[in-house]
Order: sequence, then structure tokens, then C-alpha cells
Amino acid sequence: MKKPHDGNDASYVQKVSQETNRYVRDLLADNERVRSVAAALEAEVAVLRREVDAARSAMERRAQDEARMRRQLASLEHEGGRLSERYLEVEEQNANLANLYVASYRLHGTLDRDDVLEAIREIVANLVGSEQLAIYSTRPDGGALELATSIGVVPEPPATIAIGHGLIGASARDGKTYLFEPSGDPDRLPHERDLTACVVLKLDGVVTGVLAIFRLLPQKSSFGALDRELFDLLATHAATALFCTELAGTAVAQRSARG
Amino acid sequence: MPDKKKKILLVDDSKTVLMMEQMILNKAAYELVIANDGRQAIAKANDEHPDLILMDVMMPEMGGFEACAHLRSVEATRGIPIIMVTTRGEAESIEKGYASGCSDYITKPINGMELLSKLKNYLGE
Repeated sequence: MKKPHDGNDASYVQKVSQETNRYVRDLLADNERVRSVAAALEAEVAVLRREVDAARSAMERRAQDEARMRRQLASLEHEGGRLSERYLEVEEQNANLANLYVASYRLHGTLDRDDVLEAIREIVANLVGSEQLAIYSTRPDGGALELATSIGVVPEPPATIAIGHGLIGASARDGKTYLFEPSGDPDRLPHERDLTACVVLKLDGVVTGVLAIFRLLPQKSSFGALDRELFDLLATHAATALFCTELAGTAVAQRSARG
Repeated sequence: MPDKKKKILLVDDSKTVLMMEQMILNKAAYELVIANDGRQAIAKANDEHPDLILMDVMMPEMGGFEACAHLRSVEATRGIPIIMVTTRGEAESIEKGYASGCSDYITKPINGMELLSKLKNYLGE
């Protein structure tokens, strides 16, 4: 059976109602605070998102800059390498020119035949790289080569070589400088086994002699471009220098004869 | 104030070699002193106090190895770097050079770049 309401009940209901109302207000207040925090967080997230986007853009730009700088660096390195190579080439050309200048200067710095022969020896020994050489002069009748001097060749090469005989004679006959590999070839004449170069000395196109170069120094394996240039220089300048010593000798003799 | 030029004593009896060395080294702005044999080299090393000696092996009067050994035996010249210029590149010749007290060697025909590189190394450049 239902219990009738009394004054206590009414007070209880009112109390419950008041507490419920307060609870609801608190909930609404909490809800408002949460909504406010959420709004603040959303705003913060939006800011952060914009910052992330900005940072990403900056990173992309930096990556592009880096890639561009890497390309520039590679290009500069390539250019640097090219310039280094060019520098070495120029230095080598300078050294070669210095060699040719020294050789020319030494050949034409004297009118004494022995000094010219010594200059040829020094050029071959110090600039080409051989301590074994022989210098032949063409006999006035043009039929043979006569040994002017030989240095370091053992046994001494023949005193006379007929034009066209052997490699040295052939070089004089053809008027051409020949370079050879040292060889044990039995077809070679015994004194030509170690022959590495025959440089034809020419004056106005006429063969005046042959510079025969034999074994190279141990550290020199073969002739290079500079050696060929030195041989070209020796071919004309050594011939001229030797001819000048003869002229000078003749002039001195004529002056002496005149008293 | 500009650096004082380094002084190099060139020792060789060959005019061709001396001229070649002078052409290579003048370009690099060194002060050069010349001697034509081992005895002259010893005298000039004492008088001129070079920073480095570039010396041929085969010379009249006194050869490079003998001069090198003498320079090493004297307090005043003991510390000077000596680079020998040798015709022979074989091990025996090189060992003989080091035994005489040389610092290094180069072989003929002289390569200008190699010579400059070795000089700069010993001159601390």
C-alpha cells in the first residue's frame, strides 16, 4: 500500500531537486570548460598544423637548395679537376720547353768541338736518359759514317759504317730518325743489339751524321713525346753546332795562316 | 713582411743539369747557390747554410755520397736535408745513398714536378 506524502517527503524531494539542479549546473559548467579547452586545443592544433606545413615547405625548399648546391659543387669539382689536369699539362709543357731551351742553349753556347760533343752527351744522359751513345759524322764523299766519339758503349762501336749498312747505316741512307726496342734479335749486327735510337743529324736537308743511342737508364723504360722533340732539336741543332765548330776552326786556321 | 726566400745549394758538375735545375727552381722563387763538386758543396754548405742541398752522385774531386757522409758528420750541416740526384735507380745505388745519410733521391732525367714536390716536402711548404 502506497505511503502517503508528508512534510518530510516534500522536504526530501525539494532537497533532491536542488541537488539535481546543482549537479546539472556543475555538469553544464564542466561541459562548458571542456568545450572551451577543446576549442583552445583545436586552435592550437590548427596553429601547429600551419607550423608543420610551413616547416615542411621550408624543408622542401632546403632540400631543393641542397640538391642545387650539390649540383653546383659537383660542377665545381669537375671544373677543379679539369683545371688541375690543365695545370699539370701546362707544367709539363713548361718543363718540356725548359728542356728544349737548355738543350739548344748548351749546343750553341760554344764553338769548341769537344764542348759541343760534351753538350750532346749531357743532353742525352740528363734529358733523354742514356749513358751509352756514339756520334758518327758523314765522310766528305758521303759514302760512309765515321765515328766522331762514343761514350759508355762497350765494346766500342765500329770506326766506320757504310751508308745503308745495318740500322745506323740505314738511318743515314734514309735520312730518318728511327727508334727501336732493345732486342736480342740475331738479325741485328752485334754492335746494334742495344741500339734504341738513331737520330739523323741534318744541315739544309743533307745528312751530316748520326747520333746513335744505345741502352737507356734502368729507370727509363721507353721514349716519350719530349724525347722525340729533343731528337728533332738535336737533329738540326747538333748538326748546326758541329758545323759551326768546323767553320770556327777553319776561320782560326785562316787567321793564323795570314799571320 | 714577406717570408725569407729558402736557400737551396745545387751541386753538379754538369752545366746542363745545373741549368735545368735553375730553370725549374727559379720559377718557384728559391735562392740558389751553385757548387760543381763535393768539396765545393761542403765549403758552400758551411758558408751559406742552405735550407736544402740537391746533389749529384757522380762528380769529379769528390762524389755525392762522400760529400753527403761528410756533411752528416759535422754538427753545423748535419740537419740539412740532402736530396741526391742519381743516374742509377737501382736498389743498390739507392741503398748506398741512404747509407751515406741522404734524406731522399731523384733519378735522371729529372722530372720538374717530382723535384718541386720533394723539395716542398722537405722545406715544409
